[in-house]
Order: sequence, then C-alpha cells, then structure tokens
Amino acid sequence: MYKTLVSMLLLAGLVMLPALAGAQEPVADEGEFQTAGEPTSGSPFSQSKFVPDISLILDASYVYRSLKNGQFRATSSPEYTEVPMLEGIHDETEPFSRRGLNFNYAEITFASVVDPFFDLFAVCEVTEDVFGLEEAYFSTRSLPLGLQLKGGKFLSSFGRLNEQHTHYWDFYDIPLVYNAFFGEGALNEIGARCTLVVPADFYLMLGGEVLRGKNTRSFGVEGFTSLDGVVRISDTNWPELYVGYVKTSFDIGDMVVLAGASAARGRTRINHGIGIAGVSGYAVSGYTTVAGGDLTMKYQFDSIRYLSLQGEYLYRRVDGTLYKNDSANAVSRTGITKDQTGLYVQLTAKLAKQWRCGARYDLLQVNRVRSNHMIRDVPDNLPRYSAMAEYNPTEFSRLRLQYNCDLSRYRERAGFYRRNIAHEVILQVNLAIGAHGAHAF
Amino acid sequence: MKRIAAFVALTLLFLTPAFAARMKVMTTYPYIASIVEQIGRDKVRVQALARGDFDPHTIMPKPSFIAKLRRGELLIINGAQLEIGWLPPLLRQANNPAINPGSRGFLDLSRYVKLIDVPTSISRAQGDIHPDGNPHYYLDPHNIPPLARGIAAKLAELDSANAGYYAANRDEFLRSWSAKQAEWDRKLASLRGKRVIEYHKNFDYLLRSYGIILAGTVEPLPGIPPTSRHIENLERVIGHTKVHRIFQDVYNPDRASRFLSKKYDIPLVRLPHDVGAVREAEGIYSLFDEMVRRLAQ
Repeated sequence: MYKTLVSMLLLAGLVMLPALAGAQEPVADEGEFQTAGEPTSGSPFSQSKFVPDISLILDASYVYRSLKNGQFRATSSPEYTEVPMLEGIHDETEPFSRRGLNFNYAEITFASVVDPFFDLFAVCEVTEDVFGLEEAYFSTRSLPLGLQLKGGKFLSSFGRLNEQHTHYWDFYDIPLVYNAFFGEGALNEIGARCTLVVPADFYLMLGGEVLRGKNTRSFGVEGFTSLDGVVRISDTNWPELYVGYVKTSFDIGDMVVLAGASAARGRTRINHGIGIAGVSGYAVSGYTTVAGGDLTMKYQFDSIRYLSLQGEYLYRRVDGTLYKNDSANAVSRTGITKDQTGLYVQLTAKLAKQWRCGARYDLLQVNRVRSNHMIRDVPDNLPRYSAMAEYNPTEFSRLRLQYNCDLSRYRERAGFYRRNIAHEVILQVNLAIGAHGAHAF
Repeated sequence: MKRIAAFVALTLLFLTPAFAARMKVMTTYPYIASIVEQIGRDKVRVQALARGDFDPHTIMPKPSFIAKLRRGELLIINGAQLEIGWLPPLLRQANNPAINPGSRGFLDLSRYVKLIDVPTSISRAQGDIHPDGNPHYYLDPHNIPPLARGIAAKLAELDSANAGYYAANRDEFLRSWSAKQAEWDRKLASLRGKRVIEYHKNFDYLLRSYGIILAGTVEPLPGIPPTSRHIENLERVIGHTKVHRIFQDVYNPDRASRFLSKKYDIPLVRLPHDVGAVREAEGIYSLFDEMVRRLAQ
C-alpha cells in the first residue's frame, strides 16, 4: 500500500516535471519557439485533415393523389407487382409516398481515399424510424490494364438507371419496369464487381458482378416450408445472382450517345405468405433472367442548355414452380413461366441555368404468364405518363413539380381485374449540404 | 514457348512510355494544351477534354473523356477546384493509376501561382465559392511563365531522355512570351485606374495586374444568375462612379449586361476566357492578343 502510494507520487511528479519546469523558467521570447507557418493551437496529432467527404441530402415531398392511401395500397400491376397481403407480413410493401406531406429520406454519404490502393464509399439512408445502410463498398485505384474491382454492398451497374442514386433521378419516382423487376430500391446487393475499360478510341466498358441475390422482386435467398411440411425449399447458397453488361459511348458532334446491354440471372425464392395459417399464400422457386438494353442521347446546344433522350427496354423470364396454399392448408404445385417486358422513355431539357423540364412514358408491356400449360388472363400494356418541371437555385438545391397519370394499377375481385386510375401531383424538395462528389454522366 | 516469351517481352517494351512515339498528355482545358504544345512540340501528343467556349465550371463529364483518360500518360489540370464539378468521377471511372492525383503523371498547375481572393470563411451562402481562391489565375499573362516552367519540368521528369529538348523549348517560349508581355503591358497601360463591371469573377487576376478597379459583378454571387434587385444595386454603383467597360464571358447569358450597357451607354466587351472561346483565340498567344485587342478598343 505504502509502496504503491510512493510510486504513484513519483510518477505524478515525473509527469508534472516539464510543466513545473516551464512555469519556473519564464520564456524570454515566445516567437523563438514558434516555427513559421505552423499552427500554434491544436493537437500535434490532429487527424482532422483526414476527415472523409461527408454530405447530407434531404428529400421531402407533398403528394396529391386521386386514390386514397388504402385504395392505392390495394392496387397493383398484376403479375408484375404484388398487393401486400397483410400489414406487416410482407416486406415487399414498398414505402410508397402517402397523400400529403412526406419525409422521404435523409441520405448521409461518406467518401474518401483509403490509401493508394483503395477508395471507400458509404451511403446511409435515414428515414423517420430506420437508419439503413444503402451502400458501402470499396473500389480499387491502381489495378493495371483498366481493371477495377469493387466489393461490398452496392447498386448494381445493370442498365442505365440502376446505379444512380435517388436524388440524381430526373423524375420523382423509379420507372414502372424497374419497380416491377427490382423494386423501389433498384438492384442493390452484396457482392463483388469487376469492370474493364477497354483501351479504345471510344468508351467501351465490360463488367461482371457476382451478387448475393436478395432482391425480393425477382430473386430472393430465403427458402420456405409449407404448413403441412410437404414442401421444403432450401435457402440459396450465395452467390446466387450473376450480372454482366457492356456499355459503350461516343460523341457525334455535340451529341453524346451512350448505349448498353445488360443481363442478370439468378435463383428465385419468393415467398408470399406460404406457411402462414389461414392465408391463401403462395411461393415461387426457380430461376429468373432479366435482360435489358439502354440508350441515352444528350445534345448540348451550348454551355448551359441541353436536350436528353433516355430509354430502357427490359425483359424478364421467370421459370419455376408455383406453390399455393388452399383453404384447407394443403399445398398445390404447378410449373410457372412468366415472360414480361417493360420500358420507359424520357425526354429532359435544360432550358436555362436554373430550369429543367421533362416528360416520361412508362409501359409494362408483355405480360405472358403460363402455369400448367395455360396462359393466364392478366392485363398487359399498362402505361403511365409523367411530366415534370424543376427549379434548381444552385446545384445543391432543387424544387420539382411532377404530374403522373398512372394507368398501371389494377384491383382484383374474384379473378377479374379492374383498372384504378391514379392522378398524382408531387411537389418535391431536395437539398444537399457538405462535400458531395460530382456525378458521372 | 520462346516465341511467346519474345512476343510478350516486345509487347511490354512497346507499352512502356520510353518506346511510345509520343507522350500522351491530357489536359482539362484548351489553354493548357496550347502551352504543352509550345514546350513538348513533336515529342508529345496533347489533347484537351473541355471545349474552350463552354463554362469551365460545368463541363459535361462525357464517357468519351473516360476513354481518353484511360490511355493518358500525363494529366495536367488547372486545379484550385475549377474541375471539381466534372473531373473526379471521370478519373474514378477511367481508373488509370498513372494519372491519378498524387502520382507522377498528374500535374496541378495552380501550385505554381499565388491565388487571390482566398476566402477566410467558407459557406455556400456565398454562392459557388472556391475554398482555395479564385481559380481563373491563367487569365493574366503574367501567370503563364510559371505554368510553362512547371509543365517543362514535368515533361522532363517523365521523359528524361528529352529533358534538354523541353528546356530549350521552354526558354524559347519564355523569351518570346516576355516580348509579347511588354507589348500587352503597353497596350493596357491606359486602363490603369479605370472601373469596370464583369459578369463572373473571371478576370480578377488581369484587373489586379493592370490596376483596373472592379466596380461590381453582374452575378450577385458566384454561379448565381443576376436578379433584378442585384441589377438595381449595380445601377446605383454605376450612378455614383464612372464605369468604363462591362466584361462579359462567352458562355453566360448576356441579357443583364446588355441592358446595363444600353441604359448607361457603357461599352460591353465580350472577352474570351480560354483558347477556342472566340474564333480568333486559336492558341495561348492569340488568346491574349485577342483579349488585349478587345480590352484596348
């Protein structure tokens, strides 16, 4: 006890010695001790210069819709999207914009160079109740031959729009076909990506991705068991989803042409309430392929004004087995194939430094569903028409007014489908603060 | 097997810069390309990404730029955050380690000049400000020689076999530039003490060099288009002091400048901000020749 006390006192004395010495000897000339240009305050080990680029993006909207929230929720584009079965059971219920005021999200991004070899990038999406990781990935900086590796959780580079963050879209909402095949959040997966920029006089990029395949619209990973235990479908072993694409771009005078072709194929595990007693649920296991082509043409009139035409055509084939609960909780099983296509075409124009406007045509086109060698009678050729005008006071703030005439939503009653037309007027505000990196083309 | 090895070795040899016929130099803006041409001449193949008649802040990041950057051996930028709105995603996509910031094949020219208007506090309430200072430093002919010296040093570093060649070209360039400089100084001497209005703070380095006083900008804040209230304020300034000229760049709308010019009978001068901004500005010399000609008119 005594020894400890003495050693502690000694230690304290040692620590205090420099301070005591400093106090006793008055400093003759303070300037002498300062190195020119060095900050005198702050810690010598400060790492504040290494703080990554941090930004916050806020998105809110006011929505008028001709359908009430309940009515809207009860409609779907049959065989493309689902009506949520029961509140809380089905995760696929997209967080749709309700009538009135919506706080859509706040997005927090972090980006920095890790070292000479890696970049790191993360996006957290924050809603009122949930703090979620939208993306977090590294990419390599110094691989030879134009190769780049990316790993983590990220938005797939499938197609043109998939990779773009919500706040960079030209319209408030995702095109119908993307929502049908990948959902509101697009194809966002855990996995790895390898891209190659071919050393040519024009832009040519090849890429491949190996992904977990969690996407609940077309893929899915979790197996299921029917109530009677007869049907047991195992979880998938990852990786389950493979994506490949080719993108090319060239300039014709003042016009940029960007074209791409993409394909994704993976195992499908979709469970829509099978294994829940008292619900006439169903589930699908099998394989799904989504393929698409995209074309963007952007013409610059001058330094400020441009006209941009962008379109994508997507095709999906689902091939598998459909399991269905009947009222007696017995399971039926039938083969099912879906051949579906959809497209969107949008024209946007920047008319002045702060003003943009645009129009979009959406279509869920082919809807050919066969089960048990019978073609199901489901609606097809479901369109939506949109128009928008934007005021961007600076590149960090945006006000957008959009109108949608949505003819893609149906309500099922006793096997018959009735169209519910939804007119929507949306006023959106999007603001960004902090260090947010510039966007790619 | 031997044949394959020989083939691989040969291919590798040809891929090394030393054996490439000309060094592939990419520059962000045409004026840099023009200086590189003066110094590298037939030992380099230089290409500028941006167009000289467009707003240098908001160049569209075309994917075709990625293909060019992918194959570049040296990238020379203006720096001072002028390229921040368009170059970073292109560099990331091109994924060319030879020209990434920090590597030998990357040169930021802003380090060779002293930037002015470095803000003491940073807030975007001040508009589209540049934290490092005004990035349009190259629009003063006095700032071109240090850039030429920096470029020559970088070319010599990457291609040491031709170091003497680059040094000789540099010296020749500096000699003829100083002759031109004397001519331009003579022609612009009469502008000393005159007050001018400019659209964007593009020509501040030039104004400072020649003792021209900036009475105001047509933009209320950098990057923000003119508002009627701001124009009223400018009119008050014009009422108090004699404004000699209004400077307008070639890419921004000139409606407000024309209005002021007409109402108060102040000549409107459309100044090139880069090589290619106007037809006459074909290279780094003719850019300043034309600028001085329009200023002295």
